[in-house]
Amino acid sequence: MASAPWPERVPRLLARRLPSYPPPPPTVGLPSMEQEETYLELYLDQCSAQDGLAPPRSPLFSPVAPYDMYILNASNPDTAFNSNPEVKETSGDFSSVDLSFLPDEVTQENKDQPVISKHETEENSESQSPQSRLPSPSEQDVGLGLNSSSLSNSHSQLHPGDTDSVQPPPEKPNSDSLSLASITPMTPMTPISECCGIVPQLQNIVSTVNLACKLDLKKIALQAKNAEYNPKRFAAVIMRIREPRTTALIFSSGKMVCTGAKSEEQSRLAARKYARVVQKLGFPARFLDFKIQNMVGSCDVRFPIRLEGLVLTHQQFSSYEPELFPGLIYRMVKPRIVLLIFVSGKVVLTGAKERSEIYEAFENIYPILKGFKKA
Amino acid sequence: MPGRGRCPDCGSTELVEDSHYSQSQLVCSDCGCVITEGVLTTTFSDEGNLREVTYSRSTGENEQVSRSQQRGLRRVRDLCRVLQLPPTFEDTAVAYYQQAYRHSGIRAARLQKKEVLVGCCVLITCRQHNWPLTMGAICTLLYADLDVFSSTYMQIVKLLGLDVPSLCLAELVKTYCSSFKLFQASPSVPAKYVEDKEKMLSRTMQLVELANETWLVTGRHPLPIITAATFLAWQSLQPADRLSCSLARFCKLANVDLPYPASSRLQELLAVLLRMAEQLAWLRVLRLDKRSVVKHIGDLLQHRQSLVRSAFRDGTAEVETREKEPPGWGQGQGEGEVGNNSLGLPQGKRPASPALLLPPCMLKSPKRICPVPPVSTVTGDENISDSEIEQYLRTPQEVRDFQRAQAARQAATSVPNPP
Repeated sequence: MASAPWPERVPRLLARRLPSYPPPPPTVGLPSMEQEETYLELYLDQCSAQDGLAPPRSPLFSPVAPYDMYILNASNPDTAFNSNPEVKETSGDFSSVDLSFLPDEVTQENKDQPVISKHETEENSESQSPQSRLPSPSEQDVGLGLNSSSLSNSHSQLHPGDTDSVQPPPEKPNSDSLSLASITPMTPMTPISECCGIVPQLQNIVSTVNLACKLDLKKIALQAKNAEYNPKRFAAVIMRIREPRTTALIFSSGKMVCTGAKSEEQSRLAARKYARVVQKLGFPARFLDFKIQNMVGSCDVRFPIRLEGLVLTHQQFSSYEPELFPGLIYRMVKPRIVLLIFVSGKVVLTGAKERSEIYEAFENIYPILKGFKKA
Repeated sequence: MPGRGRCPDCGSTELVEDSHYSQSQLVCSDCGCVITEGVLTTTFSDEGNLREVTYSRSTGENEQVSRSQQRGLRRVRDLCRVLQLPPTFEDTAVAYYQQAYRHSGIRAARLQKKEVLVGCCVLITCRQHNWPLTMGAICTLLYADLDVFSSTYMQIVKLLGLDVPSLCLAELVKTYCSSFKLFQASPSVPAKYVEDKEKMLSRTMQLVELANETWLVTGRHPLPIITAATFLAWQSLQPADRLSCSLARFCKLANVDLPYPASSRLQELLAVLLRMAEQLAWLRVLRLDKRSVVKHIGDLLQHRQSLVRSAFRDGTAEVETREKEPPGWGQGQGEGEVGNNSLGLPQGKRPASPALLLPPCMLKSPKRICPVPPVSTVTGDENISDSEIEQYLRTPQEVRDFQRAQAARQAATSVPNPP
């Protein structure tokens, strides 16, 4: 996941390679991974120039397809790669293919053409018509972002059948390049909210840490100004600091719970400050096993939601009891997050251990909520 | 003899009890087949009905069922009978209770929770048959706290993995409205306050549907809305005599508790009706207010579909573009209003531009604007200065002062009051 998302690589290679287009015939021998990607990007640029599309960020484009096949169709019909029989044999039946990821308009437009991806169909419909079949379901799997092992399999299927000038490329680099392309359909680390500009804000982080020493709570309550200790009510010292504004529960076993921070780093800093306070009071406090236990986020979709409708269609996940609570409690399975959805459009997400879970949960719920936008 | 079963041979129900050598037998009068000999009820069936059977004669079946479970099952049956539910509900509720009892968390729960569980099982059964039983009603019957009830209910629904449908609003309206004691004259209800049940029911239904459409029902407790709707329906059927009666007095007359939110629901409903009235030309000139609009509720309800469409515009699109209201909002209006514009009425006579159709919580301005927190650049590994930590610690002098103050306080509280 450390590699850059796909579109960022295009501008750099474009500047370098464009003057020498069309690419030299592949009699030179099959290019290395670098050059393969160059061809790929060149094809993308060319297609986008043709269609007048936005810069070719085609995260679903499958590099497994023998791209040379596409390139020649556009401009060089007489290149040796024209009729690559191996491509056709891999295009089997599409009954097992899951097209549910595609938006409705694409599948309807291209019913006669086997569909690969949103972007590709638009790009390829002009350049592909003479070609009989587009690549196999396995490449559509690439578009869905499946694991690279299946990609490398299909890739090895196609390449050995190529013309003799083509050396079978080593599998590993190809699977790397394939995996690069297949990254983007998965949930990104940063919240690139494609559907909307709304990003959930974190409101509360609960974390625990082990100070690894027995503590004398009475002494702590006596010597610390910001501590309160009422053993009859609760068996822990409640300590507060101003920056970051948090509260900690410190138990005599040495375990501590820190709540109220607005980000993971703030929570960690606050927990360290509490540990420092305990240290200064004379205890041999350490800082072991810091763990974020819960994260709470909230956001506003800014339109009213018909909760009665939502509970009817998503009954297995939702619980809506207006006699008890005005909001709908939605228990999402993947990721395992509980959402409180209110009629005003405000959504509270809780139960996350990672920030990405909150973003992912909101990305999942937003299309569902949009479906209930109209009264 | 009816109710004794059928003959296994010929299937007739004509069974006669006869005694043969002082042993009573059940004989089919058609074919003569002897069905049973001896007494028909057995200890087994006695125990099944949870009747006490002496230990020496018991079959031991109920020993598998613990006493508290037996008590709970009896309570379930009693509750079903008190609520006068159909007999099939009883068996379903008992089955749910038994199913719940199989979980160790329920078996080990406190008695209070087991009591409330009885109510939960009955509630789930009623919900599944669209029987409009509210949680408040069950809590009143069981003398239970709504919080305890709510936690037990949520737990049991999750535990048993049940799909419980929502409360059926239409059924609730019928049941709740019928409980108002206004359909017959009595010493407390003067003749002009008596109303026909059917008319009131239908008008209340229409008002509740209107409230549902205009976002007054979602997220709120259903009962206060129905109370407000019943009140408005009752008032509008004879406004001349009834406008003077307040909501509180109405509920007292009808012998129904007034739920606290009902008055604010009433105001919200009246506001919606006023907005709708603005769209009717002959009502606009009357300049209605919250009291006078009641007289015209009948007309408003008759045309409610088109009036709601014209009186309110879709709140969703408008939330972002609140400022960009087009001046000549001609096309959005219903059939009655286009004529107005074509007649060239002056600006003041044009119907008010449509209000946003949003839940009341979205129409109110926020109490305080929550500022977006600035992006913090905290890494979590910064250095923590000593001075920052020391601000939280007491100096030795402060510690001594604090201890002295604490001791003084303890001494003061422990000294008994002077006689």
